[in-house]
Amino acid sequence: MKLAEALKIVQSAPTDAPPLQVALLCGFTPLHLETFLRAQLCKLFSGRFPVVQTGLYGDLIGNLERVADVSAAVVVMEWADLDPRLGLRRLGGWEPSQLQDILSEASRSCVLLQNAVAAVARNIPVVACFPTLPLVPFSFTPLARASEFTLELRSRVASLSAALSHLPGVRIVDPQRLDALSSSLRLDVNSDLSAGFPYTLAHASALAEALAGLVLNPQPKKGLITDLDDTLWRGILGEVGVQGISWDLDNHSQIHALYQQLLHSLSASGTLIAVASKNDRPLVEEAFAARDPILRETDVFPFEVHWGAKSESVARILGAWNISADDVVCVDDSPMDLAEIKAVHPGAECLLFPRENPQAAYELLERLRDLFGKDKISQEDGLRAASLRANVELQHDRKQASPGAAGDFISHIDGKLTLSSQKQPLDSRSLELVNKTNQFNLNGRRFQEAEWQNWLNAPDAVLVAASYRDKYGPLGKIAVIAGDLLHGVNVNGVNGGSSGKRRLCIRTWVMSCRAFSRLIEYECIRWLFAKLDVEELEFDFLPTARNTPMQNFLQQVRNAPAEPHCRLSRAQFMQSCPPLSHTVEESANG
Amino acid sequence: MAEFESRLVSCFAIAFPELAAQEIPAVSMGSLASWDSLAGITLISVIEEEFSVSIAPDDVPDLVSFELILDYLQKDYLQRDYLGRLSPEDAR
Repeated sequence: MKLAEALKIVQSAPTDAPPLQVALLCGFTPLHLETFLRAQLCKLFSGRFPVVQTGLYGDLIGNLERVADVSAAVVVMEWADLDPRLGLRRLGGWEPSQLQDILSEASRSCVLLQNAVAAVARNIPVVACFPTLPLVPFSFTPLARASEFTLELRSRVASLSAALSHLPGVRIVDPQRLDALSSSLRLDVNSDLSAGFPYTLAHASALAEALAGLVLNPQPKKGLITDLDDTLWRGILGEVGVQGISWDLDNHSQIHALYQQLLHSLSASGTLIAVASKNDRPLVEEAFAARDPILRETDVFPFEVHWGAKSESVARILGAWNISADDVVCVDDSPMDLAEIKAVHPGAECLLFPRENPQAAYELLERLRDLFGKDKISQEDGLRAASLRANVELQHDRKQASPGAAGDFISHIDGKLTLSSQKQPLDSRSLELVNKTNQFNLNGRRFQEAEWQNWLNAPDAVLVAASYRDKYGPLGKIAVIAGDLLHGVNVNGVNGGSSGKRRLCIRTWVMSCRAFSRLIEYECIRWLFAKLDVEELEFDFLPTARNTPMQNFLQQVRNAPAEPHCRLSRAQFMQSCPPLSHTVEESANG
Repeated sequence: MAEFESRLVSCFAIAFPELAAQEIPAVSMGSLASWDSLAGITLISVIEEEFSVSIAPDDVPDLVSFELILDYLQKDYLQRDYLGRLSPEDAR
C-alpha cells in the first residue's frame, strides 16, 4: 500500500462509527507505521473507526506499562529497545570491549519486556513483533560472518519470543511471513536520523498489514470439501484402477501426499473434511481400504461419491455438517466443477488444485493452512467430527421412534448437561462459540477479546457455559449465555423496587448446531430461572439472515413472535416447557 | 510542467485534506496552522513516493511552501533529465 493510499483510507473512515481503540507501542516515532496500521484496520474492520494510540519515544517498557482503555495492543520492538547502542540515534560505543555489556543489557531488557507484555496480555490481546531491521554493524566480524555476539543477541530475542508465545492472548508476527511480505530494503537511515522513524515506506506498509491481520484474528473456516481424482491422489481412479493411483516421490505425485498430510492434520485439529467426487462408490471404498492413504477414511465425513452434480454433493455435505457455504472451502482440480459449485453456493471458497504445478500446489497448501489456522486446539476440536457422525445416528434413531414420542426418545438417550457460571479465567472456547455460531444465535453480535473480558468483569454480568454428552458421545462445550442481572425491576407491570425482583437481560446466547434437537435450550432456561432466582428473562434479540433456529425457539417458548427486547416470565416458561429429562450438573471450573 | 503542478496539488490534498484545491497553490507553512513538523514529514514522504525522488534532509527545511516545493521538484527533474542524457563517464 502506498502512503497516499493509506492516508486516503484513513481520511475516509466513518468518524461516527463505533471506535476501535488500538495501542501501537514502540520505542521509535510511529509516524507512517501508525498511518499504515490505521489504514489496514479500516480495511479489516469495516463499520468501525480505528483509533491508534501511541506512546513516548524511546520508552517501550513505559508505554507498555501505561496502556489502558484499548481493545488490543500492538507491540513493535526493534534492536534499540534492547539497548540504545543498537540504534542509529545514540552513540554509546561499539568497541569490542563493550559487546558483552550490550549483551547483558539486552538480556535485562528482554526480561523487562517479557514481564511488561505478559502484564498487558492479562487484560487485552497483544500482537507482538520482534526486531525486523538489520543489526547495526556493531560487531567486529565482516558482515557475511555471523559473530558470536550477534548470534547470542538473536538467541535472546528468540527465547523472549518463544516465552511470550506460550501466553494466552499473545500473537506473534511470524518472521517468515513478514519476510514474504517485506522483501525489499527495510531500514531508512535518512528517516531514522531526521525523524526517528526507521522504516522505509514499503516495510512499514508490509509490517502494518501483518500486524493488522493478527489484530483481526479471523475465525477459521469450518470445513473442507475435497475432490479425489488428480486432487487427493494422482490419477483417475475409474481409468487407472485402485493400484494405478499414487501419492509418492517415485510416481512424481508427492504433492498429493503432502495435500493428504495437510488434510489429515486439519482433521486432527477439528476441521471437518468431506469428499465430493464423481466416481463409483465401491471403487473409492476399495481405494481407501487397499491403499491406506494418509488421509484416513475415518477423517472424512461424509463421502459424497456419485455421478451427480458437485453442487448437489456440497449441499448434502453442508446439510450433514449443519453449516453454511460461507464456512467451507472446496478444493478440486476441475475449474468447471468449481464454477458449478460457486454458481450454486456463492459463499463457498472454491480453490483449484493445480495438479500439473507442484509449486502452485504447495502455495495452495499454505493458503489452506491460513484459511483453517487457529490459535489453539480445544477439546471440542477433537470431538467435532465424531459428534457429527453420532448426530446422524441420533436423527436416524429418532425417526425410528414413534411419531410424537420425541420427548420420550430424548429421555432415553441419557443426556447430561454440565453448566458453569465461572467468569475467570477467560475461557477462549466460550468466546470462540460466540464469534462463530450463526444459527442458534440471539443477535449475531461478535466481540473482540478485550470487549468480552471488560463486559464480563462487571459484577452483574453473568456468563453460563454448557457442555453436553449423551449415549451418542460427548459434544463438549456447546452453548454460551451471557447477560446482565438487573435488580429491583418492573416485572409483569409490577415494579420490583426494593423487593428484590430480578431480571436477566440476555445479551448473547449461542448454541452449536451439533446440539440441536435435544431440548438443551429449554434446560438452559430452566437452570437460569432456578439458579439465578430471576423472575423474567429479557432477550436482546435481533433477527439475522441465519438465526431462524433462534427465532423459532423464541416463538415456541413465548408463544409470540421473536422481537427485540422480548421477555419471558418464569410462569410463561413453565407453561411452554416440554418435559425435560437431562441430568444437570454444575461445574466449578468451566 | 503543468502535470507536475497537478500531481503536487494531489499530494497537498492528501496531506492537508482540509484545503480546497484552489487554495493549495498559494499555501505555505506560515499560512497553514496544520502544517507542523509532523505534517511536513508526511507531506515530504507523499511527494517522494509520488515523484519517486529522495529529498535530501538538508533541503527539507527550505521546502516551506507549495511554490518552493514545485520549484525544487522542477529543478530536480531537469537535473536528472540532463544527467540521464550524459554518458556514464561524463556523469562522473
